[in-house]
Amino acid sequence: MAITGRDTFLERVRGALGRTPGAPELDDATHIGLAVEDVRRSADDVRREMSESGDALLDAMTESAGMAGWKVRRVASPEDAADVVAEICSEAGATNVLRSDQDVFASIPVDVALSLKGITLGVATVGGVGDDIPALKKAAFDADVGITGVDYAIAETGTVVLHPRKGLSRLVSLAPGRHIAILNWGDVLPSLDELFTLERADFNNGAIEGSMNLISGPSRTGDIAATIVDGMHGPFEVHLVIVG
Amino acid sequence: MLPTTDRFKKGAKETLADPVIQMSMEAVYTGFHTNRQSAGAATEGWDGQRDRGRAIKEHTIANLDYYLEMLTDKIDANGGNVFFADDSAAATEYILNLARARDVKTVIKSKSMVSEEMSLAHEMEAVGIEAVETDLGEYIIQLAGEAPYHIIAPAIHKSQDQVAEMFSEMTGTDPGQTPEGLTTTARGMLRETFLRADMSVTGVNFAVAESGSIVLVTNEGNGRMCTSMPRVHVAVMGMEKIVPSIQDLGMMLRILIRSATGQRISSYVTMINGPRRDEEEDGPEEFHLVIVDNGRMKLLADPKLREALYCLRCGACLNACPVYRKVGGHSYGWVYPGPIGAVVSPVMSGLKQGKDLPFASSLCGACREVCPVRIDIPNMLLHLRQQVVEGPPEDRNIGRIERLGWKAWRFGNMKSSRFRAGGKIANLLGRPFARKGMFRRLPPPLSGWTRSRDLPIPASSPFRDRFKKRQSGDGE
Repeated sequence: MAITGRDTFLERVRGALGRTPGAPELDDATHIGLAVEDVRRSADDVRREMSESGDALLDAMTESAGMAGWKVRRVASPEDAADVVAEICSEAGATNVLRSDQDVFASIPVDVALSLKGITLGVATVGGVGDDIPALKKAAFDADVGITGVDYAIAETGTVVLHPRKGLSRLVSLAPGRHIAILNWGDVLPSLDELFTLERADFNNGAIEGSMNLISGPSRTGDIAATIVDGMHGPFEVHLVIVG
Repeated sequence: MLPTTDRFKKGAKETLADPVIQMSMEAVYTGFHTNRQSAGAATEGWDGQRDRGRAIKEHTIANLDYYLEMLTDKIDANGGNVFFADDSAAATEYILNLARARDVKTVIKSKSMVSEEMSLAHEMEAVGIEAVETDLGEYIIQLAGEAPYHIIAPAIHKSQDQVAEMFSEMTGTDPGQTPEGLTTTARGMLRETFLRADMSVTGVNFAVAESGSIVLVTNEGNGRMCTSMPRVHVAVMGMEKIVPSIQDLGMMLRILIRSATGQRISSYVTMINGPRRDEEEDGPEEFHLVIVDNGRMKLLADPKLREALYCLRCGACLNACPVYRKVGGHSYGWVYPGPIGAVVSPVMSGLKQGKDLPFASSLCGACREVCPVRIDIPNMLLHLRQQVVEGPPEDRNIGRIERLGWKAWRFGNMKSSRFRAGGKIANLLGRPFARKGMFRRLPPPLSGWTRSRDLPIPASSPFRDRFKKRQSGDGE
């Protein structure tokens, strides 16, 4: 699009740095020196570790997610996961539930489980809940529960990672009072560092998404009398259903 | 924001006499500081990560022109717009013009210290655009018409009762509400605003040069709301907020968040790579990044002050500072309070007016100890003190009498004979006024000392004499 006022600004930066006018000394800027090939190799290493240490990472995630404020349920099969999701919704007295349009719902039969409980389920997409973005926003704000899969989880911090994209609205994990995230075996990363390694490899491949959300527990504030209260803007209750 | 940095002494005195604020401020130590200490201790390789964080900032700032160019090229390629602003006025003008051009009625703001420099919400209201702060603390101080009290906890000085009363006046809710009830009230009010907002203004915690991304860290989710709901998203950042690579983020987030609140991570970390992609379900159609100087160039140009630009705005130095915890945030008189504020506020908003700030420190070094990137704040305070006392006489902050006193002190200490004689004279002259070897009350200007503590009188037989006697064998 447009860049305004850059040349004079950068000249002033160079002046303040005591550089001679003109181009920066690129030799000094060696930090981004890691070759694309190296990044790809370390991304492969990360993926291998995710599957080789899948069990241990899932155990670690179960623990750290609990500490971060997730209500964690671990189940053995996709059918059990769907039942647990329906149970959470019905215990919460939810009548209006939204889910994303992610692949995970092809294997986890949430739709059937919810309809057995008589709960209305909408799909949080343009076309799913209305014909335009304002309709989608309103549906997300009105929903009692939002259900999503996750792209990754991070054992270090009890985090789930979502990349909003077609089928995955930014709001379905944010606007409803409750969020249920479904995590599959093999998607857990050891730490933030591995996440950003994968993200950088995607970026090098030209496959980076428009945004990325790291979610680690409920929406929280401590701004009144330093008292921690859940549910400031986003969900006041978050559930993590771990399959495997 | 117009600086009132010349009111430091007056503000400090008022705050010290305010029992509500003194009580509220305890939380920054018992909460934030204690949590930060245990988070550091529990993090593997904590000190090494801080060293690495510092090295990254050092490298980035030393090559700031290179990285600013890379960052803005990438934002351009991602479909975003960039505006470079020399000062607050230029940044404000750009944003107001954009708002008018897009027919914006309501703006939601996520916490941004740079926008506080600009008094942006105020400037918007002045031209008839509704501007609402969405961080709960910022929302409270916006209602109260005040400036932030703390970098990460803007309303830390307000008691629960004060907030309850404010909300009650506005919405008619019960004036005896708990923090839980008050939060629910605010949630409801702000949700309506989110739904009608046309534009958002957010800050930037990190900007990634190689990918043209910005990263926002919040616990409340206001950063996410602001980057999901409106048509237009404007992010405002100080020019120093860059890291080179995506891979720097893990470590930088770790040291920032653990230093700020002691959490392993905040509830939400959001990375934004430009406007929404066409196929996406929702998100802003337009992304603008405003990169602001507003006095930072002065920090960059002075090799002794440059490291102030490494600051991640975690607030750890405020929580650790025995002076900040007593004199409070507003006494500092500009956007940034506490130890880092005592460096950057006077430089950015005018050293002449803010000349008392570099002296508002006991130089105990607690700030340097807790800083995630080990910024040597005491050293910079000394550097600024030197600039003040070596500046033109009318801009100094010590009076003629004090200067005369220091001259006499210097004269008395230049030779050991003078020093010895001085001690004897002070002892002889002082004895009639002392009680039990202490001066309890001295006339001005020395009363400044004795008002709050006693001053021992110089010993009649100084240590040096006693030591000599002892060495020669006829000691006591």
